[in-house]
Parts: sequence; C-alpha cells; structure tokens
Amino acid sequence: MWNHNEGSSNHFCSLFKKDCQMILYGKFILVAFGSLIIYTLFINFGYVNFMNAELYNVYLFDPQGTQQGISELIDPVTSLEELNAALSADANGVGIDASSGTPDIVFYFGSEKADNHRVDYALSLLHQDNQYTARTVGTNTPELKQRKEMTCELLFIEIIAVGFLGIASLLFKEKQMGVIRVHAVLPFNKHLFIVSKIMVFLLSDLIFAAFMTVLNIGFLDAVGILPDVLLQTAILSLMMTLTGFGCTMLLKDFRQFSLAYLAIAVFAAAPVFLSANTSVKMAWIDWHPFYHVYMGLKNACFGTPVTNPVYYLSSACGIAILFQIVQIAFHKEMGKEG
Amino acid sequence: MIEVKNLTFSYGKDKQALHGLNFTVGDGEIFGFLGPNGSGKSTTQKILTGILKGHGGYASLFGQDISTAHSQDFFRKIGVLFEFPYLYTNLSAVDNLKYFSSFYPAKQLRDIGEILEKLEFKADFMKKPVSSYSKGMRQRVSMARALISSPKLLFLDEPTSGLDPSGAVLFRKIIEEERKKGTTVFLTTHNMLDADLLCDRVAFITNGNIVALDTPKRLKEQNSNHHVRIDYLYQGRREEKTIEMQELEKGVPFQHDEIISIHSEEPTLEDMFIQYTGRRLS
Repeated sequence: MWNHNEGSSNHFCSLFKKDCQMILYGKFILVAFGSLIIYTLFINFGYVNFMNAELYNVYLFDPQGTQQGISELIDPVTSLEELNAALSADANGVGIDASSGTPDIVFYFGSEKADNHRVDYALSLLHQDNQYTARTVGTNTPELKQRKEMTCELLFIEIIAVGFLGIASLLFKEKQMGVIRVHAVLPFNKHLFIVSKIMVFLLSDLIFAAFMTVLNIGFLDAVGILPDVLLQTAILSLMMTLTGFGCTMLLKDFRQFSLAYLAIAVFAAAPVFLSANTSVKMAWIDWHPFYHVYMGLKNACFGTPVTNPVYYLSSACGIAILFQIVQIAFHKEMGKEG
Repeated sequence: MIEVKNLTFSYGKDKQALHGLNFTVGDGEIFGFLGPNGSGKSTTQKILTGILKGHGGYASLFGQDISTAHSQDFFRKIGVLFEFPYLYTNLSAVDNLKYFSSFYPAKQLRDIGEILEKLEFKADFMKKPVSSYSKGMRQRVSMARALISSPKLLFLDEPTSGLDPSGAVLFRKIIEEERKKGTTVFLTTHNMLDADLLCDRVAFITNGNIVALDTPKRLKEQNSNHHVRIDYLYQGRREEKTIEMQELEKGVPFQHDEIISIHSEEPTLEDMFIQYTGRRLS
C-alpha cells in the first residue's frame, strides 16, 4: 500500500532537489554570492568612511574674547580679513564675527535647510551649555547606526530583486522547456511544486540575510537582532517570490517580466525608500505594504522589532492571498497548449 | 476503460471547443483520435488527463467519473506522451527519468537503462544533457518517461513526430507490445499511417464533433468503389486496366501474357478523413 504522507515528503524532496540543481545550473548562487561580496565591501570600505566625512569647519573672530566656554572644534582667527580668507577657501565653513560682542554668522549661501543646520551647528559649538546639548538615545554608535541603515537598505533591495527576478529566471526556463505541463500529469500534490520553489528562495534569502547581517553589523551586535531580521526577511522573501511566481505564470516572456520588475522598482520600492529615509512624506504611504515590511526590517536591525499582531496577521493574509493567485496562474499554465 | 457521453467544453463564452462527443475505449484497445489542428483533440485529451477542468457532459476513466477521478492514484495509472518532448534540457536522459519516476511507487517502475535500450537510445548520450540531443532522441526519452511507470492507460500525442522511418517503426512496435500487455492506448495523431497500422478503431474529429468512428478497415471498405487495377504485359507491351472486383471471381477477364500487379482501389484513411470532414489533416 502506497503511503501518502511518505509519498508527499518524497515528492517534496524530489522537487526541492531538482529546484536546487536548476538554481545551481542557472548560476543563481554565484550572483547572490557576488552581491554579498560587493555589498560587504561597499559598507565596510566605502559607506562607513564616506559618512565619516568632516562636518562644517567653524571660524571665530573674537578680538575682545567675549565668547566663553567655546568648543575646541572652533578655529579662532585674528582678523576679519583672515575670516574672509578662510571662508573663501572653505565654502562650506561657517564664520562667526563676534567683534561687536554679539556673534554674527557669516557664510556662503547654500540652501535654506542646510544653512539653518549650519547655523545651529556653529552656535552649538559656541555655547556649550544645556540648550545645545543633545540627549543620547539608544546604544548605537554613529558607525553602527550607519552600518545597520545601509545593511537594511541593501538587504531590502536584494530580497526584492532576487526573490522576484531569481524565481522568474528559473520558471521561465521551465516554461520554455514545457516541463510545467508534464507536472500536470504526475501523481503528486501540485501545491508542492509551488512550495518547493518558494522554499528554495526563502532558504537562500535567509542565508543571504544572515551573512549580510553578520558581516556588516558585526557578529556580537548581529546575534541579538538576527532572529528578528530573519523573520522580516522571510516575510519579504515570501511576498516577492510569490509575486515573481505569479507574474512569470501570467506574463509571456522575460521582456514583459522586466517591465513588471521596472514597475515594481519605480512604483513600489522607490516611494518606500523616499518615505523611510528622507524628509519626503507621502500621505498614502501607510497603505503601501512594502513600507511596513521595510520599516519592520529596519526596526529589526535596530533591535526594536515590530510587535503589533496586526502587522503579522496582515502579512500572513497577504502571503495566503498571493499563494491562491499563484495556484490559479499555475493551473492555467499547466493547461496551456504546447 | 474510457467512456465519454455528450462531452462539451468552452474556452470562453463564444469559443466552444467540443460539441457533445460520444465514444468508448475498451480495455487493451488502441483508439485513434484523428483531427486537424484546432479540431478539439488536444482539448479532449487534456480533459481526460485532468489538465482542463470545467467540462460538460460525462466522462469516466477506469470506471470513475473524471470530475472526481484525478487523484494521485489516477495519475499513477496513466502515462502521457506530449506532442513535444518536454524535458529538463540541462539534465541528462537518466537524470530526467530518475526525477520523473521519483513520483511513482518503486514497485511499478521499470528499469531506466532497460527501457532506454528498448527505445534504441544511444548509450553514450545517457549522461549527457538533453540540450545536446536530436529531436528523435528527445522523443525517445519522452516515450521512456511515459512508459516508465508501467501505465494501464497511455495517452500518446503524435508519438512518431520527429522520428526517422526506422524510429517510427520502432515506436509502432513498442506501442503494439504495450497493447499486448493489456495497456489501453489513446492515440492522438495527424499521421494516417500510424492510425492505420496501429489503431483498432479511429474517430475523426473536426470542429469539436466526431464525424466518423469505426475500425480503419471498415471505414475504408464502406467507402470503397470495389474496383481493382491490374498491371499486365500483353504482346510485349505493358498495359493497365481497372475492373469491378466481382469480375475477378471468374479469372482475369481479358487477354494477357503476364500479370504484373493487382491493386485494390480502396480509399486510404486520409481519403476517408477528407470525405467525412472536407479537410485535410495537415
């Protein structure tokens, strides 16, 4: 007597093994490995150093010594001519003319927001009192904060790209070979075909996320946040892989699929990055599912994981709906002419 | 084995592909389903193999209504050869067969090497990727995939397509052997020679309707004009004469020195198809 449970697990193993083989033949692992190396080099040798750039230089002309308790970061000058010469050579610098006893700010005009920031920064160095002392929140050093931010952003981009494009490259090959139709007449539960592919990409995304977090945030800092990062990665990976699966079944070729990817990049990912990382705020962004997933990933990286059950319930519902759509598209593809 | 009553199917509101088909296929029979492109033969096969849902009418396989029959047990009993050799081109013949056979219980599987040998597959290609195979070799691997699970019911769609004449003869021999083992074969084809040589009965389908169904022999006989054409030599000249078959009963009714050949003027299966449908097969 044929044991159905044993059969299902054997069938899943066969599908999973074959999908892994297909991914290896398709050089998918090499692409993911290459991305990991490039991202790691960028964060460790590029981004962190770039973000450590010097702040604005502040020059003070105070011949009568009216300003007391000034920061060591201020460069004193001995004349108004010297102040002007310093600003000519350093257009981003900020000058303070305190010759009258009252500090007057002098600098080359830039943009309104940046100029206000420069003024605040210069005055904060001049008055080292409570008014200008910021309260330190959290335990992240500036470098760790930068590492976490960039790791989160690159991880998000990678999962969106790899989950979506990776499964497409695999499935379009199977579509071209016609083997999806053969599976229609094989004795196994057809859900397993979808589940196997999703699992392969989920597993590779989780491995990628683990390496990305450990290599760029550091092992000790990564250990505490890793489970939450992996959970958020899993949510994003499932969503993107299922979306990619559905699009591959519904779209004719890789060219159409590339356009769909472009649409996702422009209309889905771009507003999320803008809203999450810049001062640009869109009124509708709260309705954007990727925004919540991105923020979930970012919060996980910063050790403050999302605890709202509505978020997890909505994610589970979204994944279940996508799975249903994929199933319909998959059955439609199986019934197509050769 | 197969019973179809008033089978209908539509691809949309205005695109009815099948208009009430009726036929039965007995156990161990080779049943030919002949029709031009777009006639509904692939749709019928897809409904019977459970790929297409939403048909009207009644159809049963193995005595079970197909609306409920497409379980894993059902798929274990059938083998399907598609019109094109659908295989993983980056895997070898052996790896393809290992993969596809992994979905069946081990006890019903045939030996991969043995079946490939029977299909006269070149041994040195067994472990090379399918992408390096000719169409005929791919068709052999596809046939091996259809046969590897020892199916009780075989659906064959254009089995000799892409094969050279000796390959086609081999495939026909293998199909005959399967039938001798008791396998029922549902053969969908354009190829009249395959149908004529292999099928116990054939159905002509056009525009979603079966317009004729009988044995190839009877279809031809019923429409025969009962003439024979005789080639002969007389006084050193080669001559040809067509006479009524009945006239032969009393011997050759004209003077001759030597009979070279006698041909019955029986129509071919293709002639019959054109007569019934008004269309050629390809």
